[in-house]
Amino acid sequence: MNTDPDLEALLPTGSVDAGCAVSFEVLHRYVEQELAGGHPARSQPGLAAHLHSCPACGEDYQGLLGAVELFGDASPTAH
Amino acid sequence: MTDAGERVVQMDATSQLWLDGLRSSGSEHEKCIAALHALLLRVARHEVSRRAGSLRVRGPELEDIAQQASDDAVLAIRSKVAGFRGDSRFTTWAYKFVMFEVSTKMGRHFWRAQRANLDDEAWGRLPDTIFPAPEKHAEQRELFALLRRAIEEELTHLQRQVFVAVALNDVPMDALARELGSTRNSVYKVLFDARCKLRESLRSAGYGRPVTLGSKA
Repeated sequence: MNTDPDLEALLPTGSVDAGCAVSFEVLHRYVEQELAGGHPARSQPGLAAHLHSCPACGEDYQGLLGAVELFGDASPTAH
Repeated sequence: MTDAGERVVQMDATSQLWLDGLRSSGSEHEKCIAALHALLLRVARHEVSRRAGSLRVRGPELEDIAQQASDDAVLAIRSKVAGFRGDSRFTTWAYKFVMFEVSTKMGRHFWRAQRANLDDEAWGRLPDTIFPAPEKHAEQRELFALLRRAIEEELTHLQRQVFVAVALNDVPMDALARELGSTRNSVYKVLFDARCKLRESLRSAGYGRPVTLGSKA
């Protein structure tokens, strides 16, 4: 079916949406799985749907993804 | 597995160093807190800078936000570290609190930077939002009218307020939550319900789900 991506963007309503509170609890695992080359959207579809639908959590997800890539796993003795 | 059925995760060495430092006392603890704050401040500065353009916050406010966010992230981590199970690196878990605090702080500053009226309705931009190609505006006018009527007539006042602010006026959800005296989670639920109502309205008017422009179901 030829869906319109912009209307989808305006009215996304995933049926398995995990919600903001649950998403915050597991976001770190999701990001690490993704950066390790995994497919967290398959194992955690509720979180994937939420990150697509919630602009605030989606922004946090993008930020966390970038922060882990940029700052890595710093040690407390490295400062 | 433990007797309680919890999954036992082998902690990586660097994460264990952070936990040991946070659980220690005296100068070792203080050094660990200082190192954590320094790291999170760098992360916060980067994140604030990344978001600054879209939120139109600039200048000294950015450094204030980064400082506040890293301060509060350290506080949150200290209070929640007992719950860290080692299911990711410690730093990934810790950066998550920075993201949340940056969102919250930038939401607060959003209203200082621009006094958007929550009832502002960007109807004029709606066709561009949905139908970026101008040549399609006319043929999609019916769908636009249906959507606009559904927003006006079928949403509750709060649903309309949240939908218009977030989906049409690009108000950050944390800023809106603060303005409404609510939480991000609660605002999201209202937004979700509003979207469901609007999709249902379009579907009952003959548009399939997902909506296929130009071809009614």
